[in-house]
Amino acid sequence: MKYNQVTPAIVSQLSDIVGKKYIITDEEKMSTYSHDETPPQYAHMPEAVVIPRKAEEIAEIVKLANRELIPITPRGGGTGLSGGSIPSFGGIVISFERMNSILEIDYNNMLIVVEPGVITSEINVSLEGSGLFYAGYPMSLLSCFIGGNVAEDAGGGKAIKYGVTSRYVIGLEIVTPTGEIVQLGGKLVKDVTGYNLKQLIVGSEGTLGIVTKIILKLSPMPRYMVDLLVLFKDTRSAIRLVPKIMMECGITPTSIEYMDQLSVKTTCDYLNESLPYHNAGAMLLIEVDGNKEEHVDADADLIGELCFQNEAIEVYVADNNTTRERIWSVRRNIDEALRILSPVQTDEDTVVPIAAITEFVEEIEKIAEKYNILIPSFGHAGDGNLHPTLLKNPDSTMEEWFETEEKALRDIYGLCKKLGGKITGEHGIGCKRKKYLNIVTSEAEVEMMKKIKQALDPNNIMNPGKIFDITCSS
Amino acid sequence: MNIIIPVKQVPETSNVKMDEKTGTMIRDGVESIINPLDLYAIETGIQLKEKFGGLVTVISMGPPAAERAVKEAMAMGCDGGIVLTGKEFAGSDTWATSYALSEAIRKIGTWDLILCGERATDGDTGQVGPGIASFLDISLATYVSSVEDIDNGLMVVERLVEGGYEKLQMELPALLTVVKEISYPRLPTLRGKQKARVTEVPRWSVDSAGIDKNRIGLNGSPTRVVKIETPKVARGGKIFAAKDEESLGRAVDELVDFLVMKELI
Repeated sequence: MKYNQVTPAIVSQLSDIVGKKYIITDEEKMSTYSHDETPPQYAHMPEAVVIPRKAEEIAEIVKLANRELIPITPRGGGTGLSGGSIPSFGGIVISFERMNSILEIDYNNMLIVVEPGVITSEINVSLEGSGLFYAGYPMSLLSCFIGGNVAEDAGGGKAIKYGVTSRYVIGLEIVTPTGEIVQLGGKLVKDVTGYNLKQLIVGSEGTLGIVTKIILKLSPMPRYMVDLLVLFKDTRSAIRLVPKIMMECGITPTSIEYMDQLSVKTTCDYLNESLPYHNAGAMLLIEVDGNKEEHVDADADLIGELCFQNEAIEVYVADNNTTRERIWSVRRNIDEALRILSPVQTDEDTVVPIAAITEFVEEIEKIAEKYNILIPSFGHAGDGNLHPTLLKNPDSTMEEWFETEEKALRDIYGLCKKLGGKITGEHGIGCKRKKYLNIVTSEAEVEMMKKIKQALDPNNIMNPGKIFDITCSS
Repeated sequence: MNIIIPVKQVPETSNVKMDEKTGTMIRDGVESIINPLDLYAIETGIQLKEKFGGLVTVISMGPPAAERAVKEAMAMGCDGGIVLTGKEFAGSDTWATSYALSEAIRKIGTWDLILCGERATDGDTGQVGPGIASFLDISLATYVSSVEDIDNGLMVVERLVEGGYEKLQMELPALLTVVKEISYPRLPTLRGKQKARVTEVPRWSVDSAGIDKNRIGLNGSPTRVVKIETPKVARGGKIFAAKDEESLGRAVDELVDFLVMKELI
C-alpha cells in the first residue's frame, strides 16, 4: 500500500483549515498520538496531528486526504486496547480533544447530544440530579472519550442489564471517508428507514467514517444500588455460579464481574487497599439496582443466599457510594495494576457463550501452565466476556516472549472458536488482533466487510490497517 | 473488654454541593454515610474484641436516620448500638456534643475503652473525642496509630506525632482517637446486614439519657458559627529570577535555601 507523505505544503493546507495553533508536527509532541494502551510494538508515529473544532473542518481534511492519498486516523482518549487509534501508516491523526461539548440535554425525549471528545464520565456529571443517566460504564470512563466508545462499541461493567454502547446510540453525524457530512438516525427510538447505517458505524473502529456528533438514549436512574463482593475458594466455584444467578434467582443483575486472586492482590497492592483476598481464590462482584430499597435488598439477599449455597466463603455488602466505589475502584484498576506487575503483557478480550465460561476459565489455567506464564483473569463474567492477561515470565527474553505469546494466543483463540466464542467482545480488532480474525470469522464474512469498506472508502485512507488489510483499489 | 464507639453520620463528601448564597452545605438528596474516619475506630474496636473478647457498642447522636450509620457498624461486626436523638440536640457544638455523649456513655454502664475517629469529615474539628474523655475524666491519647498491648488495666499505644511516633502507656478506662494507619476497615457482611436489619436500635432522648437540657443544643453551646466563607484557593508561585549568568548562581542558592527552609530537601 502506497500513501503519499504529509509535505510542508500539505501541513500549510491543513493549518488553513484548522488554524496554525491546532496542528502538531513536533516529533516529541506527536509521540503521545503514536500509541494507545496496547503494547509498544504496535505504536506508529503520525506525520501530523490536527485538532479540529467542527465537522466542516474534518470534511475538508478528509477531502484533502483523498486528493493527496494520505491516511487519516481518528483518535479519542487514547485508552483503546486494540490499537484502533494508532496511525499504522503515518499520515494525519485527527484528535477530538477540542470537540468536547455537551450540545443538548433533551429531558422530554430522554436523550443527550454530545460531541465525540466528551469524556464518558462527564456525561453523567452533566445529568446529576435529573433522574436520568447514561448507562455506558467502560472501565476507563474517567479518561476515555465517548467517540472512542462508539468507534469500538465499548462494553463495560453494566452490560448484563444495560447492554453496550450500541444500545444507546440512536443518532450519529459522521464525515464519510469521502468527506460528506451525513446525519444517521435521529431522536428516534425506532427507525427502520433503510439500512441501519448508524449501527454499522458503531464498532467500525473509525474505518468507515468519522463520528462528529452522537445522540445517546438515556435511562431512568435507579435510586438504589447494592454491590455484593463474594469470596470463593477457587475459580471453579465462582465461575460456576455465574449462569445460576440469573437462572435460579430470576434476577438480571447490573453486573457480575469476576476477579481472580492475582488480579485482586496486585490491584490492592497498587491502590493500597485491603480487600480480604487472602483466603479467596476468586471473587465475584455482583451489583443489583432498582427503585425501592427493600426490593433491591431482597434481590441482594436472594443472590447472597445462592452464593452461600454454592461454596461462597463470605459475602460482603456495599450499599452506599463510598463503599461501592471502594470495591469498584479495585475492579477498574486491575488493568493498570497488572501492567506494573509485568510491563510486558497482552490484555485479551475473549467472549464466549455464558454457559461456556467455566470450561473457558479452566482451559485458560491449563494454557498458563503449558507455557509457564501467569494469566490472571478478570472481567465481565455475566457477559461471558473475560480479560485473560498474559504476563511475560521475567526470566524469558523478549524473543521467547513473542514466541510464547503467539502460541498461547493461538491456543486461547482456538479455544474461543471451539466454545462458540469470539476473540474480542468490547475492545475491537484494531491492528492488534487482525492476523487472528480468520480464526473465528469465515472468509465470506470478511469478504462482506471488505466490500463495504471498499464501497465507502475507495481510496482506503480511513484508518487503514485496522480489522483487516486490503489493497488500495485506486 | 467492652468498647464504646461514638460515630457520626456525615454527608458523602464526593457529592457535596454548597449553597453559594449562604455558604452552607446542601444536604437535601445527599447520601449520608458513617464518617469515613470513624470506620478505622470501628475496625480497631472489632479487632480488639476478636482478640480480648467483650462487646462493641456504637453510639450516634443525630437525627433518627443516624440509625442507618449504627446499623452499618453492626453489619461490620459491632454488637449493638444506640441513637441519641431529639430536637433538643439540634445545633449542639463540639462542647455540647461531647457533654451529651459523655452522659450517654456513663449511662451505658461498664466499659473499658472508647474509640473515636480522628475527626469528622464535615465539621473537621477533631474535638469531640478529647471532649468526651475530659467530661468523663479518663485517660486520652489522640492520633493513635497502633494498640500494642492491653494487660492488667494498662494499655500501650503508639501515636503519630509530628515527625515520628510516640509510645505511651496509659490506664484504662481510656479514650483513643485513631488515625487511618491503625487498620483497614472491613466491609459489612451480608449476614451482618441481615442481623442489623432485624435488630432494634434503642433511641435515647435527653430524659432517658439523663442529660441537662440547658447544656446542649444551640443555647447550651458556647460557640457560634458567625460566618462561613469558602476560602479562595490561591497557589502562591515563587519565582527565583535570574537575568544573567551572574545572578543565576544567586537565584539557585535562594531556591535551595527556600527548599531547605520548607524542609523539602
